[in-house]
Amino acid sequence: MRIGLVCPYAFDVPGGVQYHVRDLAEHFLREGHDVQVLAPIDHDVPLPDYVTSCGHAVPVRYNGSVARLSFGPVTSSRVSRWLEQHQFDVVHIHEPISPSTSLLALWATESPVVATFHTSNIRSRAMQAAYPLLRPSLEKITGRIAVSEAARRTVTSHLGGDAVVIPNGVCVADFADAAPRPEWQGSEDGPTLAFLGRIDEPRKGLPVLASAMDEVLRGRPGTRLLVAGPGDVEAAQERMSPQVQEATTFLGLVSDEDKAALLSSVDAYIAPHTGGESFGIVLVEAMAAGAPVVASDLSAFSAVLDGEANGRLFSNGDAEGCARSILALLDSPADRARLRSAGQERARLYDWSVVADQIMAVYETVTHAADVAATVPESGLWARLVRPLTRDSENG
Amino acid sequence: METLTWITLAIIVLVLLAWYLTYSAARLDRLHAKVEGAAAALDAQLVRRAESALELATSGLLDPASSLLLVDAASQSLDRTVSHDEGHFLRFESFAGRESAESDLTGALNAALSDQSVADLKMRGAGIAEELLERVSAAGLRVQLARRFYNQAVTEVQRVRRKRVVRIFRLAGYAEMPETVEFDDELTLTSSGG
Repeated sequence: MRIGLVCPYAFDVPGGVQYHVRDLAEHFLREGHDVQVLAPIDHDVPLPDYVTSCGHAVPVRYNGSVARLSFGPVTSSRVSRWLEQHQFDVVHIHEPISPSTSLLALWATESPVVATFHTSNIRSRAMQAAYPLLRPSLEKITGRIAVSEAARRTVTSHLGGDAVVIPNGVCVADFADAAPRPEWQGSEDGPTLAFLGRIDEPRKGLPVLASAMDEVLRGRPGTRLLVAGPGDVEAAQERMSPQVQEATTFLGLVSDEDKAALLSSVDAYIAPHTGGESFGIVLVEAMAAGAPVVASDLSAFSAVLDGEANGRLFSNGDAEGCARSILALLDSPADRARLRSAGQERARLYDWSVVADQIMAVYETVTHAADVAATVPESGLWARLVRPLTRDSENG
Repeated sequence: METLTWITLAIIVLVLLAWYLTYSAARLDRLHAKVEGAAAALDAQLVRRAESALELATSGLLDPASSLLLVDAASQSLDRTVSHDEGHFLRFESFAGRESAESDLTGALNAALSDQSVADLKMRGAGIAEELLERVSAAGLRVQLARRFYNQAVTEVQRVRRKRVVRIFRLAGYAEMPETVEFDDELTLTSSGG
């Protein structure tokens, strides 16, 4: 099958949507499909040969955060040329309403369209103004996918209709096979906890975890916190009490291999996010690596963990609750062992082999529908203006 | 001069109206075709699901009671498959009366394929059972997708056809108002990742 994937964000900048597009493209390529990716590119870095650049991305404030998008006449004509050149059986557009490559591709394409909605925090005022304008384009989408129930609710409340939920995929084997590193492994007296994510973005929840750590250190003085993620370390340290600073190691931005090794080494992975998460791919990665998960009770997180069946939840923003959950988990090796195996079992549902099969089923359904739709003759305006009248007079 | 201005204005308004009507008609045509396509896809997947259920039921791997239950539900579903009467101008009602049969088939599949009997099947039937179950599960997933995409297309048509300009100028022509299809398509076999 000839598949065209469209990514709205700069492909060489880390991000959930970008990773999703890359992994999906590589999975389908391995299965022997003809896959092309169209995305903005930030730097002149060497790209995999399935990626086509539609120009440089510009940082723009959109929907509450700065996104690197690409638009304008040059991008627009590159998008059209790419579509024309490849004649795809299906065009799969990610975040179709982001004002970037995705919207332009939706505008220009004649092929059957599948769209994946990733976000759950679309600002409604802007969207209410924009949807009537976008509606005719959005009607080109034959198959709508949402990555989580939260994302699906956003789609249905803003656009009406429905979407199928297909989660983000994870290469489970990469995490399950990662070897633990001794320096990150905990001991009976000094267990280790991991935090992943930008340290200066409050909604990733480091401040919540930092104040929870005070309580954790009172209960278990030897505990160490390993923080992996980019951002201003000194500013983050200033917001911590001296003993928490002492117990915390900042690893900076880590590679994918290091991330997997970290997750398979620690005694618990903590996800104290306070909002804005529509899926929670890191939770799946942690489960795949065998790290017991302690997470805030965002609906996306509790969906991934299936309630408390595969992890522990505390109420969002509640540092004391977070500390209690961590201490209870550290006190019970049996609980940790149970969560380890339950999590690894759970993570398999999100493996690319499972997820990509579902996406392929969407492609097949959509192309079948499009083949039939193409055979339906157009009736034209004149026939419709006249025929109902003649029919009425016949009946009347 | 006065009259000329009025005539010019009237012509401009007429041209704009004509353009808008043509545009709306084309948009509606596209949406109607989309519903047709989605209906055909749903129909095909329903047939595939019923056939895969029938295949499983007649494989001799299930107990006779479950088999009978499945054969009954699957053939009810296949009986309702209406042949598409070709030359007819956009008729969308082909799912009327099929919803209960499809819900029944879902119920029968879920009853026949409990976790326990699936485990039992895999033990006794080895490779063949796996293959048959895989086929049922894949068809079940595709029915879910096709039904949602169909309903999606239907709501889009309904929204456009509620517009005043479409009603006044009867842009929908003969075409019947399509209706969403509602039945239980939640297979435990599919949702457990099998």
